[in-house]
Amino acid sequence: MVYMSLAGWKLKVYREFFERGFETMRRILLIGAGTMGMEHAAHYYSMEDVHVVGIVDVRTEQAQKIIGQHDTKIFSSVEEAVEQLEKIDVVDICVPTFLHKEYVLKAADNGIDIICEKPLAYTLQDAREMIDFCKEKQVRLFVGHVVRFFPQYAQARELVINGTIGDIGIVRTKRGGNFPAGWSDWYADQSKSGGVILDLIIHDFDFLRWIFGDVERVYAKGLAERKLEHLDYALVTVTFKSGVIAHVEGTWAHQTFSSQFEFAGKSGIIEYDSLKEEPVLLSVRQSNERKDGVAVPQSPLKKSPYYSELEHFLHCLKTNETPLVTAEDAYKAMEISAAALQSLQTGVPVVLNGEGGEPV
Amino acid sequence: MKIGIISFAHMHAVSYASALKGMEGVILAGIADDNEERGKKYSEAFEADYYKDYHALLETDIHAVIVTSENYLHHEHVLAAAKAGKHVLCEKPLAANMKDMEEMIRICEQNQVLLGTAFPVRFNTPVQQAKKLIEQGVLGDILAIKGTNRGTNPGGWFIEKEKSGGGAVLDHTVHVVDLMRWFTGAEVKEVYAEMGNVYTDHPIDDCGIVTMEFTNGMFATLDCSWSRNQNYPTWGDVTLDIIGSNGTLKVDAFSQKLDLYSNHDGVKWIGWGDDMDAGLIEDFVTGIKEGRAPSASGHSGMKAVEVALAAYQSFEKRTPVKL
Repeated sequence: MVYMSLAGWKLKVYREFFERGFETMRRILLIGAGTMGMEHAAHYYSMEDVHVVGIVDVRTEQAQKIIGQHDTKIFSSVEEAVEQLEKIDVVDICVPTFLHKEYVLKAADNGIDIICEKPLAYTLQDAREMIDFCKEKQVRLFVGHVVRFFPQYAQARELVINGTIGDIGIVRTKRGGNFPAGWSDWYADQSKSGGVILDLIIHDFDFLRWIFGDVERVYAKGLAERKLEHLDYALVTVTFKSGVIAHVEGTWAHQTFSSQFEFAGKSGIIEYDSLKEEPVLLSVRQSNERKDGVAVPQSPLKKSPYYSELEHFLHCLKTNETPLVTAEDAYKAMEISAAALQSLQTGVPVVLNGEGGEPV
Repeated sequence: MKIGIISFAHMHAVSYASALKGMEGVILAGIADDNEERGKKYSEAFEADYYKDYHALLETDIHAVIVTSENYLHHEHVLAAAKAGKHVLCEKPLAANMKDMEEMIRICEQNQVLLGTAFPVRFNTPVQQAKKLIEQGVLGDILAIKGTNRGTNPGGWFIEKEKSGGGAVLDHTVHVVDLMRWFTGAEVKEVYAEMGNVYTDHPIDDCGIVTMEFTNGMFATLDCSWSRNQNYPTWGDVTLDIIGSNGTLKVDAFSQKLDLYSNHDGVKWIGWGDDMDAGLIEDFVTGIKEGRAPSASGHSGMKAVEVALAAYQSFEKRTPVKL
């Protein structure tokens, strides 16, 4: 108990000593038993040196479903978990975006390192505050921009930066499908989710920034302002300082999820469309009456991108390495989303002012 | 009915000539081309009389001409045809400035000849099927359209601005803007564009993303780039992804294809869909017989070019341009 109530660098030193000394088991406290919580939990459970010590969610049944036969405890608040658990190494935050800040600040205040789902926050101001507070409390903050861990995306980046297809003129990305079902329909509230621009295509903004660097200006059109029920769609043009033009599509208007990209270079083209990728396609006949089958496309890999991401973050915690995607990267991706949302409202392109600044 | 062709500078002329040859009751009577070698070659191939001077062709008893010259000559050729009392089907873009296009439309009206713009994609069978679905109201309100009309760098006079009037943005904006107008009946009211010069070794716009707002409240983007490289399995595409309040509709005009894997040519897509150029020419010829304007009139041609011109203005000023 004394251990948890004291925060700060001294404790971190102790903790690292203890861990290296005689405990390699990572103790995870998962916040949120929704879709992403379930995804993360499944991967943690399959890791040998990881123990999910608790799940924080008031929906006990939902949490129990995730836990199954494991010995994870259910808590109704972080405070309760911190009080009752002997030791927590990492808090993994899988709650809706508008709640990220609250939990990041709580975890940091308790001196616990953090993995937080993307987008980092709802506003740039909140994101900055969260990053600064984690620095102050000397805890590490990892943000789940998982697309960097998808091998098809990582490989496309390699090809592009190695010059395989020459100079790039136009890049196109697409992401989306069904309107997502979420806890108390939070995705439908623009002020909680930020719609497709903040919640969905921030993945592609981060991915493109990873390849092409700083953004010059952003112009966006979308349905957010129309306030249509369970429907969002946006087409965003992002022009990089290098001159590359990216067309980024985000949709919660289609029926089937897909992600696509196309890099059109001077000497070659790289295309990817998740809908065309069918390494395993299961089609089960429902019944004699209903003939339409349920198609379940999968992309089997030894390690899923989510597994690779969490494993990487835990590895970086252990070794103190800089992760493949930093909290600052997460902030920069949010800047592009914020610029797109601003452009949507003002109807004019938004110029980014370079060094980590806010849209002007 | 006798029809002539002015210039084979634009290679679509070959396809139009083939369509004319395949139609009953239509004679491809003459071909005028200031490039003698080219003109004679195609005159022989299509068994038509050759004229070096297009005025000589216009003096014959033909009923109509198809103008497939370099863009900067469309104005001169259409005016001459109208004054000679010949109906005209003009290759897109109709012209590269508003003044010329307004004059072309006016002079054709004054001389009581029909003026059509060659927008063959209107006659692509999947595109026509999509239009029917939209008219049936299957999609509900149209909220947004994502379009592409990518292509290969055409080279030649296309990348000489004095002759073409503009690069990819002018060349490839007009087709899909025309489809968007045709599908919805709405007009473009605002245009924003980003463009670049990457694919050609020539100072001309060869890629771009055009964003538009329409009078019906919908928005749209269009990728008009010459971004297909030499080894891409086909020349390019025309696609539309239409977002409605009740659903979405994806149109890929040339996806009726075979995939060919050849030791000589690598991968090639071989189209097996209906010939849209034949539909374009048939509509023009039927229009003349019935005395009605072609599906895509001179006005349609002008409205599409207006958007491309606004795109250039927008890129120059880095701001949206209202029409």
